[in-house]
Amino acid sequence: MTLNNVKILIGDDSILARKQLKDVIRSYGSPIFFEAANGQEAVDAYKKETPDLVFLDIVMPVKDGITAVSEIVGHDKNADIVIVSSVGTQTQLKAAIEAGANDFIQKPLNADQVRHIITSRFEGR
Amino acid sequence: MYAQFFGNYLLTRDIVTKEQLITAMQKKTSQHMKLGTLAIHAGYMTAGEVDRVIILQTHQDKRFGEIAIHEGYLTETQVAELLKKQKPDFLRLGQVLIEDGVLDNEQLQDAIINYQSESEFDDFIYSDETRETIEHLLANFFVASERPLTRYELSYLQLLFNNLVRFIGDDFTPVAPYSAKEYPTNYCVSQKVSGEFSVRISIDMTKKCCIDFASRYAREIFPDFDEYVQASLEDFLNLHNGLFTVNLSNDYSVELQPDPPALETRELLTFQTETYLLPIIYPFGMLHFIIEIAPVE
Repeated sequence: MTLNNVKILIGDDSILARKQLKDVIRSYGSPIFFEAANGQEAVDAYKKETPDLVFLDIVMPVKDGITAVSEIVGHDKNADIVIVSSVGTQTQLKAAIEAGANDFIQKPLNADQVRHIITSRFEGR
Repeated sequence: MYAQFFGNYLLTRDIVTKEQLITAMQKKTSQHMKLGTLAIHAGYMTAGEVDRVIILQTHQDKRFGEIAIHEGYLTETQVAELLKKQKPDFLRLGQVLIEDGVLDNEQLQDAIINYQSESEFDDFIYSDETRETIEHLLANFFVASERPLTRYELSYLQLLFNNLVRFIGDDFTPVAPYSAKEYPTNYCVSQKVSGEFSVRISIDMTKKCCIDFASRYAREIFPDFDEYVQASLEDFLNLHNGLFTVNLSNDYSVELQPDPPALETRELLTFQTETYLLPIIYPFGMLHFIIEIAPVE
């Protein structure tokens, strides 16, 4: 599997969380990363870069992750979005899926879950 | 894990001072457990017997276990069992306090017996704690409140101690919480969680302490107070509160929503509503959790 030329957008208000997720993904390849520190930045970055995969936190300033999912999917119904959040309640999970997210990872970050997300999409490349 | 409360027990009974406790906690990780201390805790020897063996050791070139067996205080099986047994963290703490001259064997023995009987459970360090035991322990610990803790508050504290063990380390001692009207901040981040009820949780510590806290949380060494260190505090708070909302949703069908965590810029926090300060002592320093119940907008 190669992640060369794969574009991945990470939207999380924590610079540490973004770094940790990048570190895990980098063990599988070297994609092109884009980062956003809130929901609005994530929506703007998506429109500009059209990434192959998006990781979004829920609890973020300016615009929360669920609203950002709705807006991104409204712009591109094929957007592939994975929610990465510590607030993994059934209510939030349901809201994320209804908004158009494809997957949900409960924090703390589990490398196996990230591997599954990455390999299920990019294996064979 | 709830051996952490033993340090607090020693503090609240004025058996040790905060300074003595911090010093001892810093030393205890490198502490080699002594057979005498283990034998007292197991109830195989009295403090007087241990002291006698230690005196005999000064005249004979023999190990503690050998003399104790010779004197009939221990059997060979007991010595083997003590050496094999898990070494409880709180005993390490007790032993450092003895070596620092803060306690003697007799006082440590009394403290262990009294703590175990007041906590109403035996052999707590070796057994798997049941939910009831932990709740009981927490309810006793949280004496600052004049009312009984609600099930949500118990659940919150239980998760907080679990998360400290899980993400920062189990080498901490919680100091009994107290109610407060104000608090002068060091480096402080806050997060509000609201819904059926509302609570604002802050975590505060010195910048030096932040570096150690963050290094443990992120599992990498941060040499300086930088943006990753700052993010670590917010991350921990956000993760803990997020997990709390999951538990509340699953266990009680109560839906809460956390706001994004934010840096507290006020030098002095003043509280209009019921507020508790929960100090936690780690070897790298002291941190405070500030719990404001139903903060007014």
